[in-house]
Amino acid sequence: MMTGIWTIAKMSLLENSRKQVFHVLCLLMLAIIAGSTLLSIFTEGVQIKILKDLCMTCILFGGAAMAIALGSSGIPNDVESRTIHPLIARPLTRAQYVMGKFIGTFITVSIGVAAMTVAFSALIFMFQHSFDTYVGLAVLFTLLEVAIITAIATTVSTFATPAVTTVLTFLAYVGGTIKIGYVGGLIERSSGGLTKALYSMIYHALPNLECFNLKTSLVHHDAVPAAYLGQVALYGVCYIAFVLVLGMSFFARKEV
Amino acid sequence: MAHPIETENLSKVYALGRRKGTRIALDGLSIEVPEGVVFGFLGPNGAGKTTTIKMLLDFVHPTSGSATMFGKPTTEASTRRAVGYLPEQPYFHKFLKPMEVVSMHATLAGVERRMVREKALNALERTGIAEYADTPIGKLSKGLTQRVGIAQAIVGDPKLLILDEPTSGLDPIGRRHIRDLILELRKEGKTVFLSSHLLSEVESTCDTVAVLKRGTLVAYGTPDEVRGGDQRLSIQVQELDKQTRDSLRFIDVTVEERAGGVTVVASPDNIYEVMRTLEKSDARIVRVQTERESLEEAFLRLAA
Repeated sequence: MMTGIWTIAKMSLLENSRKQVFHVLCLLMLAIIAGSTLLSIFTEGVQIKILKDLCMTCILFGGAAMAIALGSSGIPNDVESRTIHPLIARPLTRAQYVMGKFIGTFITVSIGVAAMTVAFSALIFMFQHSFDTYVGLAVLFTLLEVAIITAIATTVSTFATPAVTTVLTFLAYVGGTIKIGYVGGLIERSSGGLTKALYSMIYHALPNLECFNLKTSLVHHDAVPAAYLGQVALYGVCYIAFVLVLGMSFFARKEV
Repeated sequence: MAHPIETENLSKVYALGRRKGTRIALDGLSIEVPEGVVFGFLGPNGAGKTTTIKMLLDFVHPTSGSATMFGKPTTEASTRRAVGYLPEQPYFHKFLKPMEVVSMHATLAGVERRMVREKALNALERTGIAEYADTPIGKLSKGLTQRVGIAQAIVGDPKLLILDEPTSGLDPIGRRHIRDLILELRKEGKTVFLSSHLLSEVESTCDTVAVLKRGTLVAYGTPDEVRGGDQRLSIQVQELDKQTRDSLRFIDVTVEERAGGVTVVASPDNIYEVMRTLEKSDARIVRVQTERESLEEAFLRLAA
Protein backbone atom coordinates (compact mmCIF):
# COMPACT_ATOMS: atom_id res chain seq x y z
CA MET A 1 0.00 0.00 0.00
CA MET A 2 2.76 2.43 1.00
CA THR A 3 4.75 1.57 -2.12
CA GLY A 4 1.93 2.83 -4.33
CA ILE A 5 1.51 6.05 -2.34
CA TRP A 6 5.25 6.67 -2.30
CA THR A 7 5.60 6.04 -6.05
CA ILE A 8 2.88 8.60 -6.82
CA ALA A 9 4.41 11.02 -4.30
CA LYS A 10 7.82 10.69 -5.95
CA MET A 11 6.29 11.30 -9.37
CA SER A 12 4.39 14.32 -8.06
CA LEU A 13 7.57 15.69 -6.45
CA LEU A 14 9.51 15.32 -9.72
CA GLU A 15 6.70 17.00 -11.65
CA ASN A 16 6.17 19.88 -9.20
CA SER A 17 9.86 20.62 -8.75
CA ARG A 18 10.07 21.30 -12.50
CA LYS A 19 7.22 23.79 -12.51
CA GLN A 20 8.07 27.40 -13.22
CA VAL A 21 5.67 28.71 -10.56
CA PHE A 22 7.64 26.82 -7.89
CA HIS A 23 10.96 28.29 -9.03
CA VAL A 24 9.55 31.80 -9.34
CA LEU A 25 7.95 31.74 -5.87
CA CYS A 26 11.11 30.32 -4.31
CA LEU A 27 13.32 32.96 -5.90
CA LEU A 28 10.89 35.77 -5.08
CA MET A 29 10.67 34.82 -1.41
CA LEU A 30 14.44 34.31 -1.16
CA ALA A 31 14.94 37.73 -2.73
CA ILE A 32 12.61 39.32 -0.16
CA ILE A 33 14.39 37.52 2.68
CA ALA A 34 17.76 38.61 1.31
CA GLY A 35 16.38 42.14 0.95
CA SER A 36 15.69 42.19 4.71
CA THR A 37 19.38 42.93 5.20
CA LEU A 38 18.54 46.46 4.10
CA LEU A 39 16.85 46.98 7.48
CA SER A 40 20.07 48.50 8.84
CA ILE A 41 18.31 51.83 9.34
CA PHE A 42 16.73 50.42 12.50
CA THR A 43 18.51 49.96 15.82
CA GLU A 44 19.81 46.44 16.42
CA GLY A 45 17.03 45.11 18.68
CA VAL A 46 14.23 46.42 16.48
CA GLN A 47 16.09 45.28 13.39
CA ILE A 48 16.09 41.64 14.55
CA LYS A 49 12.40 41.77 15.48
CA ILE A 50 11.41 43.22 12.13
CA LEU A 51 13.66 40.72 10.37
CA LYS A 52 11.99 37.78 12.12
CA ASP A 53 8.52 39.18 11.50
CA LEU A 54 9.19 39.83 7.82
CA CYS A 55 10.94 36.50 7.15
CA MET A 56 8.29 34.42 8.93
CA THR A 57 5.59 36.23 6.93
CA CYS A 58 7.57 35.48 3.78
CA ILE A 59 7.88 31.80 4.66
CA LEU A 60 4.16 31.54 5.40
CA PHE A 61 2.98 33.42 2.30
CA GLY A 62 5.53 31.72 0.09
CA GLY A 63 4.60 28.27 1.42
CA ALA A 64 0.87 28.99 1.14
CA ALA A 65 1.24 30.32 -2.42
CA MET A 66 3.23 27.24 -3.44
CA ALA A 67 0.69 24.94 -1.78
CA ILE A 68 -2.20 26.63 -3.62
CA ALA A 69 -0.42 26.78 -6.99
CA LEU A 70 0.94 23.23 -6.96
CA GLY A 71 -1.90 21.54 -5.06
CA SER A 72 -4.61 22.94 -7.29
CA SER A 73 -3.10 21.74 -10.56
CA GLY A 74 -1.65 18.28 -9.81
CA ILE A 75 -4.72 16.05 -10.11
CA PRO A 76 -6.65 18.06 -12.77
CA ASN A 77 -3.54 18.17 -14.98
CA ASP A 78 -3.08 14.40 -14.69
CA VAL A 79 -6.74 13.85 -15.63
CA GLU A 80 -6.61 16.38 -18.47
CA SER A 81 -3.38 15.03 -19.95
CA ARG A 82 -4.50 11.41 -19.27
CA THR A 83 -1.18 10.62 -17.56
CA ILE A 84 -3.42 9.29 -14.79
CA HIS A 85 -4.69 6.36 -16.91
CA PRO A 86 -1.67 4.06 -16.88
CA LEU A 87 -1.26 4.79 -13.17
CA ILE A 88 -4.75 3.93 -11.96
CA ALA A 89 -4.84 0.94 -14.30
CA ARG A 90 -2.41 -0.56 -11.78
CA PRO A 91 -3.53 -2.13 -8.51
CA LEU A 92 -3.67 1.32 -6.96
CA THR A 93 -6.74 2.69 -5.23
CA ARG A 94 -7.97 6.21 -5.93
CA ALA A 95 -7.35 6.97 -2.24
CA GLN A 96 -3.69 5.96 -2.59
CA TYR A 97 -3.42 8.17 -5.65
CA VAL A 98 -4.87 11.22 -3.85
CA MET A 99 -2.65 10.56 -0.81
CA GLY A 100 0.41 10.24 -3.06
CA LYS A 101 -0.39 13.51 -4.80
CA PHE A 102 -0.83 15.26 -1.44
CA ILE A 103 2.45 13.92 -0.05
CA GLY A 104 4.36 14.74 -3.25
CA THR A 105 3.04 18.31 -3.28
CA PHE A 106 3.70 18.77 0.41
CA ILE A 107 7.31 17.55 0.08
CA THR A 108 7.86 19.99 -2.81
CA VAL A 109 6.46 22.88 -0.76
CA SER A 110 8.56 21.76 2.22
CA ILE A 111 11.70 21.94 0.07
CA GLY A 112 10.80 25.54 -0.81
CA VAL A 113 10.08 26.36 2.85
CA ALA A 114 13.36 24.67 3.88
CA ALA A 115 15.30 26.84 1.41
CA MET A 116 13.64 29.97 2.84
CA THR A 117 14.32 28.81 6.40
CA VAL A 118 18.01 28.25 5.65
CA ALA A 119 18.26 31.78 4.23
CA PHE A 120 16.33 33.17 7.22
CA SER A 121 18.54 31.33 9.75
CA ALA A 122 21.68 32.53 7.99
CA LEU A 123 20.43 36.12 8.28
CA ILE A 124 19.66 35.70 11.98
CA PHE A 125 23.15 34.27 12.47
CA MET A 126 24.58 37.24 10.61
CA PHE A 127 22.76 39.74 12.84
CA GLN A 128 22.74 37.84 16.17
CA HIS A 129 25.88 35.70 15.79
CA SER A 130 23.85 32.75 17.08
CA PHE A 131 20.98 30.57 15.84
CA ASP A 132 17.46 30.93 17.26
CA THR A 133 15.88 27.60 18.25
CA TYR A 134 12.44 29.25 18.16
CA VAL A 135 12.80 29.57 14.41
CA GLY A 136 12.69 25.79 14.02
CA LEU A 137 9.53 25.52 16.11
CA ALA A 138 7.81 28.42 14.34
CA VAL A 139 8.67 27.02 10.90
CA LEU A 140 7.49 23.57 11.93
CA PHE A 141 4.03 24.93 12.77
CA THR A 142 4.03 27.06 9.62
CA LEU A 143 4.66 23.81 7.72
CA LEU A 144 1.65 22.26 9.44
CA GLU A 145 -0.42 25.26 8.33
CA VAL A 146 0.93 24.86 4.79
CA ALA A 147 0.06 21.14 4.94
CA ILE A 148 -3.57 22.07 5.72
CA ILE A 149 -3.65 24.42 2.72
CA THR A 150 -2.11 21.69 0.54
CA ALA A 151 -4.74 19.20 1.75
CA ILE A 152 -7.56 21.66 0.99
CA ALA A 153 -6.15 22.37 -2.50
CA THR A 154 -5.71 18.65 -3.21
CA THR A 155 -9.24 17.85 -2.07
CA VAL A 156 -10.91 20.69 -3.98
CA SER A 157 -8.90 19.76 -7.09
CA THR A 158 -10.54 16.31 -7.11
CA PHE A 159 -13.79 17.90 -8.31
CA ALA A 160 -12.94 21.41 -9.54
CA THR A 161 -10.80 22.96 -12.23
CA PRO A 162 -7.38 24.41 -11.29
CA ALA A 163 -8.72 27.99 -11.50
CA VAL A 164 -11.72 27.27 -9.25
CA THR A 165 -9.50 25.30 -6.86
CA THR A 166 -7.05 28.20 -6.62
CA VAL A 167 -9.85 30.65 -5.77
CA LEU A 168 -11.59 28.34 -3.29
CA THR A 169 -8.34 27.39 -1.53
CA PHE A 170 -7.27 31.03 -1.34
CA LEU A 171 -10.66 31.91 0.20
CA ALA A 172 -10.29 29.03 2.67
CA TYR A 173 -6.81 30.31 3.56
CA VAL A 174 -8.00 33.88 4.10
CA GLY A 175 -11.12 32.64 5.92
CA GLY A 176 -9.02 30.36 8.11
CA THR A 177 -6.71 33.23 9.01
CA ILE A 178 -9.52 35.60 10.02
CA LYS A 179 -11.82 32.88 11.36
CA ILE A 180 -11.62 33.70 15.07
CA GLY A 181 -11.52 37.47 14.75
CA TYR A 182 -14.00 38.09 11.94
CA VAL A 183 -16.18 35.05 11.19
CA GLY A 184 -16.66 34.41 14.93
CA GLY A 185 -17.81 38.00 15.32
CA LEU A 186 -20.28 37.59 12.45
CA ILE A 187 -22.00 34.73 14.28
CA GLU A 188 -22.34 36.82 17.43
CA ARG A 189 -23.70 39.80 15.53
CA SER A 190 -26.15 37.92 13.29
CA SER A 191 -29.76 37.84 14.44
CA GLY A 192 -31.57 35.60 11.90
CA GLY A 193 -31.57 31.86 12.57
CA LEU A 194 -30.67 30.90 9.02
CA THR A 195 -27.84 33.45 8.72
CA LYS A 196 -26.48 32.40 12.07
CA ALA A 197 -26.58 28.74 11.00
CA LEU A 198 -24.81 29.60 7.74
CA TYR A 199 -22.06 31.58 9.49
CA SER A 200 -21.75 28.85 12.07
CA MET A 201 -21.34 26.22 9.34
CA ILE A 202 -18.63 28.28 7.62
CA TYR A 203 -16.95 28.86 10.97
CA HIS A 204 -16.75 25.15 11.75
CA ALA A 205 -15.72 24.12 8.24
CA LEU A 206 -12.86 26.60 8.02
CA PRO A 207 -9.56 25.63 9.61
CA ASN A 208 -8.29 27.82 12.41
CA LEU A 209 -4.99 28.76 10.79
CA GLU A 210 -4.18 31.51 13.26
CA CYS A 211 -3.37 28.97 15.97
CA PHE A 212 -0.35 27.78 13.95
CA ASN A 213 1.13 31.24 13.84
CA LEU A 214 3.99 31.35 16.37
CA LYS A 215 5.50 34.47 14.81
CA THR A 216 4.70 36.71 17.79
CA SER A 217 6.22 34.20 20.21
CA LEU A 218 9.32 34.01 18.02
CA VAL A 219 9.69 37.79 17.78
CA HIS A 220 9.19 38.39 21.50
CA HIS A 221 10.65 35.06 22.69
CA ASP A 222 7.47 34.25 24.62
CA ALA A 223 7.40 30.69 25.90
CA VAL A 224 4.58 28.63 24.39
CA PRO A 225 3.21 25.84 26.63
CA ALA A 226 4.03 22.36 25.32
CA ALA A 227 0.43 21.23 25.95
CA TYR A 228 -0.85 24.00 23.67
CA LEU A 229 1.62 23.04 20.95
CA GLY A 230 0.57 19.39 21.27
CA GLN A 231 -3.12 20.33 20.97
CA VAL A 232 -2.49 22.54 17.95
CA ALA A 233 -0.41 19.82 16.23
CA LEU A 234 -3.11 17.22 16.90
CA TYR A 235 -5.79 19.60 15.57
CA GLY A 236 -3.73 20.15 12.42
CA VAL A 237 -3.18 16.46 11.77
CA CYS A 238 -6.87 15.65 12.37
CA TYR A 239 -8.00 18.48 10.07
CA ILE A 240 -5.66 17.28 7.31
CA ALA A 241 -6.89 13.69 7.71
CA PHE A 242 -10.53 14.81 7.59
CA VAL A 243 -10.03 16.96 4.48
CA LEU A 244 -8.08 14.23 2.67
CA VAL A 245 -10.70 11.57 3.46
CA LEU A 246 -13.27 13.89 1.88
CA GLY A 247 -11.05 14.29 -1.19
CA MET A 248 -10.52 10.54 -1.47
CA SER A 249 -14.25 9.86 -1.35
CA PHE A 250 -14.95 12.54 -4.01
CA PHE A 251 -12.24 11.15 -6.26
CA ALA A 252 -13.36 7.53 -5.80
CA ARG A 253 -16.61 8.42 -7.60
CA LYS A 254 -15.04 10.62 -10.26
CA GLU A 255 -14.94 9.36 -13.85
CA VAL A 256 -11.55 10.03 -15.39
CA MET B 1 -12.25 -21.37 -14.10
CA ALA B 2 -13.12 -17.68 -14.35
CA HIS B 3 -12.48 -15.95 -17.65
CA PRO B 4 -9.91 -13.15 -17.82
CA ILE B 5 -12.72 -10.83 -18.91
CA GLU B 6 -16.45 -11.34 -18.61
CA THR B 7 -19.11 -8.70 -19.09
CA GLU B 8 -22.82 -9.07 -18.62
CA ASN B 9 -25.23 -6.52 -20.08
CA LEU B 10 -22.63 -3.84 -19.61
CA SER B 11 -24.06 -0.45 -20.50
CA LYS B 12 -22.92 3.11 -20.29
CA VAL B 13 -25.06 6.16 -20.86
CA TYR B 14 -23.48 9.60 -20.73
CA ALA B 15 -25.54 12.60 -19.70
CA LEU B 16 -24.88 15.43 -22.14
CA GLY B 17 -26.62 18.16 -20.21
CA ARG B 18 -30.21 19.17 -19.58
CA ARG B 19 -31.03 20.17 -23.14
CA LYS B 20 -28.93 17.64 -25.02
CA GLY B 21 -30.21 14.58 -23.20
CA THR B 22 -28.11 11.44 -23.10
CA ARG B 23 -25.82 9.41 -25.33
CA ILE B 24 -25.63 5.64 -25.21
CA ALA B 25 -21.95 4.74 -25.43
CA LEU B 26 -22.42 1.04 -24.77
CA ASP B 27 -25.61 -0.97 -24.83
CA GLY B 28 -25.82 -4.31 -23.03
CA LEU B 29 -22.44 -5.78 -23.93
CA SER B 30 -22.07 -9.43 -22.93
CA ILE B 31 -18.78 -11.07 -23.87
CA GLU B 32 -16.42 -13.67 -22.47
CA VAL B 33 -12.73 -13.53 -23.22
CA PRO B 34 -11.22 -17.00 -22.76
CA GLU B 35 -7.78 -17.48 -21.26
CA GLY B 36 -4.72 -17.56 -23.51
CA VAL B 37 -6.31 -16.01 -26.60
CA VAL B 38 -5.79 -12.80 -28.52
CA PHE B 39 -9.20 -11.15 -28.52
CA GLY B 40 -9.82 -8.52 -31.19
CA PHE B 41 -12.20 -5.74 -30.22
CA LEU B 42 -13.34 -3.93 -33.35
CA GLY B 43 -15.60 -1.09 -34.20
CA PRO B 44 -15.62 2.28 -35.92
CA ASN B 45 -14.87 5.48 -34.03
CA GLY B 46 -17.46 6.08 -31.31
CA ALA B 47 -18.55 2.43 -31.25
CA GLY B 48 -17.83 2.11 -27.53
CA LYS B 49 -14.49 0.27 -27.54
CA THR B 50 -12.59 2.72 -25.34
CA THR B 51 -15.62 3.15 -23.07
CA THR B 52 -15.64 -0.63 -22.53
CA ILE B 53 -11.93 -0.60 -21.69
CA LYS B 54 -12.45 2.35 -19.34
CA MET B 55 -15.16 0.42 -17.52
CA LEU B 56 -13.00 -2.70 -17.30
CA LEU B 57 -10.29 -0.62 -15.66
CA ASP B 58 -12.73 1.29 -13.44
CA PHE B 59 -11.97 4.69 -14.97
CA VAL B 60 -15.70 5.16 -15.55
CA HIS B 61 -18.61 3.42 -13.89
CA PRO B 62 -21.19 1.35 -15.77
CA THR B 63 -24.75 2.67 -15.88
CA SER B 64 -25.94 -0.93 -15.64
CA GLY B 65 -24.59 -4.45 -15.99
CA SER B 66 -21.40 -5.85 -14.59
CA ALA B 67 -17.85 -6.74 -15.55
CA THR B 68 -15.37 -9.09 -13.96
CA MET B 69 -11.74 -9.92 -14.57
CA PHE B 70 -10.59 -13.35 -13.44
CA GLY B 71 -13.89 -13.64 -11.58
CA LYS B 72 -13.36 -10.54 -9.48
CA PRO B 73 -15.31 -7.30 -9.87
CA THR B 74 -13.41 -4.68 -11.86
CA THR B 75 -14.05 -2.12 -9.12
CA GLU B 76 -11.52 -3.84 -6.83
CA ALA B 77 -8.01 -2.43 -7.23
CA SER B 78 -6.47 -5.85 -6.52
CA THR B 79 -8.14 -7.20 -9.68
CA ARG B 80 -5.78 -5.06 -11.73
CA ARG B 81 -2.72 -6.82 -10.28
CA ALA B 82 -2.94 -9.27 -13.19
CA VAL B 83 -3.54 -6.59 -15.83
CA GLY B 84 -1.25 -4.56 -18.07
CA TYR B 85 -2.79 -1.64 -19.94
CA LEU B 86 -1.71 0.40 -22.93
CA PRO B 87 -3.85 3.53 -23.46
CA GLU B 88 -4.85 4.58 -26.95
CA GLN B 89 -2.30 7.37 -26.92
CA PRO B 90 0.06 6.83 -24.02
CA TYR B 91 0.88 10.07 -22.23
CA PHE B 92 3.84 10.22 -19.92
CA HIS B 93 5.59 13.15 -18.32
CA LYS B 94 8.05 14.39 -20.93
CA PHE B 95 10.87 14.85 -18.46
CA LEU B 96 10.83 11.16 -17.50
CA LYS B 97 13.04 8.59 -19.20
CA PRO B 98 11.67 5.26 -20.48
CA MET B 99 13.64 3.40 -17.79
CA GLU B 100 12.08 5.59 -15.08
CA VAL B 101 8.53 5.14 -16.45
CA VAL B 102 8.83 1.38 -16.83
CA SER B 103 10.54 0.99 -13.43
CA MET B 104 7.77 3.01 -11.80
CA HIS B 105 5.13 0.79 -13.37
CA ALA B 106 7.06 -2.31 -12.33
CA THR B 107 6.96 -1.03 -8.74
CA LEU B 108 3.23 -0.28 -8.97
CA ALA B 109 2.65 -3.74 -10.46
CA GLY B 110 4.20 -5.27 -7.35
CA VAL B 111 7.60 -6.32 -8.73
CA GLU B 112 10.14 -6.85 -5.94
CA ARG B 113 12.40 -3.84 -5.48
CA ARG B 114 15.63 -5.74 -6.32
CA MET B 115 14.08 -7.05 -9.54
CA VAL B 116 12.62 -3.74 -10.77
CA ARG B 117 15.54 -2.59 -12.93
CA GLU B 118 16.07 -6.02 -14.45
CA LYS B 119 12.38 -6.43 -15.32
CA ALA B 120 12.19 -2.88 -16.71
CA LEU B 121 15.21 -3.45 -18.92
CA ASN B 122 13.75 -6.74 -20.13
CA ALA B 123 10.47 -5.02 -21.07
CA LEU B 124 12.36 -2.28 -22.92
CA GLU B 125 14.39 -4.90 -24.78
CA ARG B 126 11.27 -6.84 -25.77
CA THR B 127 9.72 -3.72 -27.23
CA GLY B 128 12.97 -2.78 -28.98
CA ILE B 129 13.72 0.48 -27.19
CA ALA B 130 16.45 -0.51 -24.74
CA GLU B 131 18.87 1.86 -26.48
CA TYR B 132 16.58 4.79 -25.62
CA ALA B 133 16.22 3.77 -21.96
CA ASP B 134 17.86 6.97 -20.70
CA THR B 135 16.52 9.45 -23.27
CA PRO B 136 13.79 11.80 -21.93
CA ILE B 137 10.39 10.85 -23.39
CA GLY B 138 9.94 14.41 -24.67
CA LYS B 139 12.76 13.72 -27.13
CA LEU B 140 11.32 10.44 -28.43
CA SER B 141 9.19 10.07 -31.56
CA LYS B 142 5.51 9.10 -31.37
CA GLY B 143 6.32 5.52 -32.34
CA LEU B 144 9.01 5.18 -29.69
CA THR B 145 6.69 6.67 -27.05
CA GLN B 146 4.11 4.09 -28.09
CA ARG B 147 6.69 1.36 -27.47
CA VAL B 148 7.37 2.82 -24.01
CA GLY B 149 3.64 2.42 -23.42
CA ILE B 150 3.77 -1.20 -24.47
CA ALA B 151 6.85 -1.78 -22.30
CA GLN B 152 5.08 -0.38 -19.22
CA ALA B 153 2.05 -2.57 -19.99
CA ILE B 154 4.04 -5.82 -20.11
CA VAL B 155 6.48 -5.05 -17.31
CA GLY B 156 4.68 -6.65 -14.39
CA ASP B 157 4.33 -9.95 -16.30
CA PRO B 158 0.52 -9.56 -16.30
CA LYS B 159 -1.76 -12.46 -17.22
CA LEU B 160 -4.07 -10.12 -19.13
CA LEU B 161 -3.01 -7.34 -21.45
CA ILE B 162 -5.46 -4.68 -22.54
CA LEU B 163 -3.98 -2.93 -25.56
CA ASP B 164 -5.82 0.01 -27.08
CA GLU B 165 -4.47 0.58 -30.62
CA PRO B 166 -1.00 -0.84 -29.88
CA THR B 167 0.42 -0.19 -33.34
CA SER B 168 -0.84 3.37 -33.66
CA GLY B 169 2.01 5.62 -34.75
CA LEU B 170 4.36 2.75 -35.56
CA ASP B 171 6.10 2.26 -38.90
CA PRO B 172 5.64 -1.08 -40.75
CA ILE B 173 8.74 -2.57 -39.07
CA GLY B 174 7.47 -1.45 -35.68
CA ARG B 175 4.02 -2.91 -36.42
CA ARG B 176 5.56 -6.23 -37.36
CA HIS B 177 7.65 -6.18 -34.19
CA ILE B 178 4.62 -5.56 -31.99
CA ARG B 179 2.53 -8.15 -33.85
CA ASP B 180 5.26 -10.71 -33.23
CA LEU B 181 5.43 -9.65 -29.59
CA ILE B 182 1.66 -10.15 -29.22
CA LEU B 183 1.93 -13.65 -30.70
CA GLU B 184 4.88 -14.36 -28.40
CA LEU B 185 2.84 -13.24 -25.40
CA ARG B 186 0.03 -15.58 -26.47
CA LYS B 187 2.52 -18.43 -26.63
CA GLU B 188 3.47 -17.61 -23.05
CA GLY B 189 -0.17 -18.19 -22.12
CA LYS B 190 -1.18 -14.57 -21.70
CA THR B 191 -4.54 -13.23 -22.75
CA VAL B 192 -4.46 -10.17 -24.99
CA PHE B 193 -7.50 -7.92 -25.36
CA LEU B 194 -6.69 -5.95 -28.49
CA SER B 195 -8.66 -2.95 -29.62
CA SER B 196 -7.61 -1.94 -33.09
CA HIS B 197 -8.64 -0.29 -36.34
CA LEU B 198 -6.04 -2.22 -38.32
CA LEU B 199 -8.07 -5.18 -39.54
CA SER B 200 -5.14 -6.93 -41.22
CA GLU B 201 -3.40 -6.87 -37.84
CA VAL B 202 -6.47 -8.29 -36.10
CA GLU B 203 -6.94 -10.91 -38.82
CA SER B 204 -3.39 -12.17 -38.45
CA THR B 205 -3.23 -12.21 -34.65
CA CYS B 206 -6.69 -12.70 -33.15
CA ASP B 207 -8.35 -15.98 -32.17
CA THR B 208 -11.67 -14.37 -31.35
CA VAL B 209 -13.16 -11.06 -32.41
CA ALA B 210 -16.08 -8.92 -31.34
CA VAL B 211 -17.45 -6.13 -33.51
CA LEU B 212 -19.24 -3.16 -31.98
CA LYS B 213 -21.47 -0.72 -33.79
CA ARG B 214 -22.84 2.32 -31.96
CA GLY B 215 -22.41 0.60 -28.62
CA THR B 216 -24.06 -2.65 -29.67
CA LEU B 217 -22.34 -5.96 -30.28
CA VAL B 218 -23.02 -6.92 -33.89
CA ALA B 219 -20.68 -9.91 -34.32
CA TYR B 220 -18.78 -12.16 -31.97
CA GLY B 221 -16.78 -15.31 -32.65
CA THR B 222 -13.70 -16.57 -34.44
CA PRO B 223 -12.54 -14.47 -37.42
CA ASP B 224 -13.93 -17.21 -39.72
CA GLU B 225 -17.34 -17.05 -38.04
CA VAL B 226 -17.38 -13.26 -38.21
CA ARG B 227 -16.37 -13.20 -41.85
CA GLY B 228 -19.40 -15.33 -42.59
CA GLY B 229 -20.73 -15.64 -46.12
CA ASP B 230 -20.01 -18.54 -48.46
CA GLN B 231 -16.61 -19.44 -49.71
CA ARG B 232 -16.17 -18.47 -53.35
CA LEU B 233 -13.92 -19.86 -56.06
CA SER B 234 -12.28 -17.70 -58.63
CA ILE B 235 -11.20 -19.24 -61.91
CA GLN B 236 -8.88 -17.11 -63.94
CA VAL B 237 -8.87 -17.83 -67.67
CA GLN B 238 -6.87 -16.22 -70.45
CA GLU B 239 -9.93 -15.22 -72.51
CA LEU B 240 -13.59 -16.09 -72.93
CA ASP B 241 -15.64 -16.05 -76.09
CA LYS B 242 -19.10 -14.45 -76.19
CA GLN B 243 -20.95 -17.79 -76.30
CA THR B 244 -19.24 -19.03 -73.13
CA ARG B 245 -19.94 -15.75 -71.38
CA ASP B 246 -23.63 -16.10 -72.25
CA SER B 247 -23.67 -19.70 -71.01
CA LEU B 248 -22.03 -18.67 -67.73
CA ARG B 249 -24.61 -15.94 -67.25
CA PHE B 250 -27.29 -18.64 -67.04
CA ILE B 251 -25.36 -20.45 -64.27
CA ASP B 252 -25.45 -17.30 -62.13
CA VAL B 253 -21.73 -16.58 -61.76
CA THR B 254 -19.84 -13.32 -61.94
CA VAL B 255 -17.49 -12.70 -64.82
CA GLU B 256 -14.96 -9.95 -64.12
CA GLU B 257 -12.25 -8.46 -66.28
CA ARG B 258 -9.20 -8.44 -64.04
CA ALA B 259 -5.50 -7.92 -64.67
CA GLY B 260 -4.07 -10.96 -66.51
CA GLY B 261 -7.33 -12.17 -68.01
CA VAL B 262 -10.93 -12.90 -67.15
CA THR B 263 -12.00 -14.13 -63.73
CA VAL B 264 -15.07 -16.23 -63.19
CA VAL B 265 -16.25 -16.15 -59.59
CA ALA B 266 -18.29 -19.25 -58.74
CA SER B 267 -19.78 -20.71 -55.62
CA PRO B 268 -19.21 -24.31 -54.40
CA ASP B 269 -22.79 -25.09 -55.58
CA ASN B 270 -22.17 -24.36 -59.24
CA ILE B 271 -18.42 -25.01 -59.59
CA TYR B 272 -18.82 -28.31 -61.52
CA GLU B 273 -21.20 -26.77 -64.00
CA VAL B 274 -18.85 -23.79 -64.50
CA MET B 275 -15.88 -26.12 -65.05
CA ARG B 276 -17.85 -28.18 -67.59
CA THR B 277 -18.77 -24.99 -69.50
CA LEU B 278 -15.18 -23.82 -69.52
CA GLU B 279 -13.98 -27.26 -70.64
CA LYS B 280 -16.47 -27.23 -73.54
CA SER B 281 -15.20 -23.83 -74.71
CA ASP B 282 -11.54 -24.91 -74.49
CA ALA B 283 -10.81 -21.91 -72.29
CA ARG B 284 -7.25 -21.91 -71.00
CA ILE B 285 -7.42 -21.91 -67.18
CA VAL B 286 -4.56 -19.92 -65.62
CA ARG B 287 -5.38 -20.21 -61.92
CA VAL B 288 -8.07 -21.53 -59.59
CA GLN B 289 -8.23 -20.22 -56.05
CA THR B 290 -10.63 -19.85 -53.17
CA GLU B 291 -11.88 -16.41 -52.26
CA ARG B 292 -13.32 -15.47 -48.90
CA GLU B 293 -14.71 -12.30 -47.50
CA SER B 294 -11.85 -10.55 -45.74
CA LEU B 295 -12.25 -9.32 -42.20
CA GLU B 296 -12.17 -5.82 -43.61
CA GLU B 297 -15.10 -6.63 -45.91
CA ALA B 298 -16.93 -8.25 -43.01
CA PHE B 299 -16.20 -5.23 -40.83
CA LEU B 300 -17.55 -2.86 -43.47
CA ARG B 301 -20.62 -5.05 -43.90
CA LEU B 302 -21.27 -5.22 -40.16
CA ALA B 303 -20.19 -1.82 -38.88
CA ALA B 304 -20.58 0.64 -41.72
